[in-house]
Amino acid sequence: MTANYKLDAMLELRKFLWNELKTRNIFDEEDYWSDNLNENIIPIVPVQQTAEMNQFLSGKKHIVYDKIGMSYEDNWMICCEQILFTIYSTDFSEINEIRNFMTDQFRRMDDSARDINYWAGLSDKFKFLSVYLADISPTAPSEELQGFFATEVILEIKYARIVDGQGRFL
Amino acid sequence: MLIQASSGLERLMAGSKGGVLKDSTVAQVSAYVYYNAAVISKLTTNKQFQSKFSKVIFEQIDKDFGEYIDALARSKPRSLHHVYEWKQAGSKTARLFHLKLVSQDGLSFKIAYSFKPSKSFVPAEGNYKRRHIFVDKANIMEMGQPLTISPKYADRLVFEVNGATVFMPKGKSVTVKRPGGPGVKNQFSLAHSRFFSGQLVNNSIKKSGIQRIFGAGMAKALRLPTNIKRVQYSFSPNLIRSQADASLASAFGGAL
Repeated sequence: MTANYKLDAMLELRKFLWNELKTRNIFDEEDYWSDNLNENIIPIVPVQQTAEMNQFLSGKKHIVYDKIGMSYEDNWMICCEQILFTIYSTDFSEINEIRNFMTDQFRRMDDSARDINYWAGLSDKFKFLSVYLADISPTAPSEELQGFFATEVILEIKYARIVDGQGRFL
Repeated sequence: MLIQASSGLERLMAGSKGGVLKDSTVAQVSAYVYYNAAVISKLTTNKQFQSKFSKVIFEQIDKDFGEYIDALARSKPRSLHHVYEWKQAGSKTARLFHLKLVSQDGLSFKIAYSFKPSKSFVPAEGNYKRRHIFVDKANIMEMGQPLTISPKYADRLVFEVNGATVFMPKGKSVTVKRPGGPGVKNQFSLAHSRFFSGQLVNNSIKKSGIQRIFGAGMAKALRLPTNIKRVQYSFSPNLIRSQADASLASAFGGAL
């Protein structure tokens, strides 16, 4: 059986984060309806796609993410990744709200990982081991997007991909 | 300092002379502390160990810091484009910064950053004969230092602003008040201090595997020789020091 190599822990985390932000009414998905695509767009976008999303996200709060780096521990089944989230909003208090939610959700290491593992939307090919809040920057006016404030949150995640008897991805 | 402090124990290790009752406790505890102090001080003053210790940590910090700046630069290129070659913000191979070990005192060491000269041409639209390399780009933009551009080979400066060609008067220079844009001044320095004053550098040190690499050797070297465990009324400092040497050599192999 061929493994699905499109699966990625960072994308799983993004799905989980979006679900939580919607559930807690921090974001309203109806605000992100695209007439062109005829669907809601998730306003958590990879940094590589920001240029094409700029117009759509103009004036709307959103999050840009990027992988800082990844490495495997001596135990090669445990992968460690750092992910940078940049939160943008024109409203200072909205930035604080998102940042405080992420702090509350992701600072508890194995308890935070457990929440993700228990979420029904998670791919069964991953097991999160710990999530750690590595850094939060102060909120400041953004140089990238005029009129927006921005803050950065760095998460460090440890996870394992479910493998077969030979240690290959399932 | 550790050796100086532990030298006071030599007298106590010699044991007490005379008296009816003899007690080994003071001499033995002193020998125990003396042995540990000898191992630790020899280890921490050993140049090879210091060098290996700092190298392991520095290499991890260097890697993590570079990746951190790359990610920040991809997310906010307007703030950090200046520490990369033109139009390559966030690219590892286009970095114009690097970290270096500047000094070492025992197991403490200092890390500083410096900027590398740019080697690529300043992007220019249009068909210009002469291309320019802004060598000190990263440093000048980081400092927010105003820049004066003067004609060097030609009679006058010619450049484009918003699609319009500007012909400067003969011999006149142009001053760029904020080279790199308004958002770059001190931004690298800010990111650097965030990395080194927060959790990120600690994570990096943990990730370096320093505990795994040196922890087992330290534990082995600190294992007490059997003669110190035995009840004795006096211990030889010379013997203990030579045992500490032998133990370190055995624990760290050829590294020391």
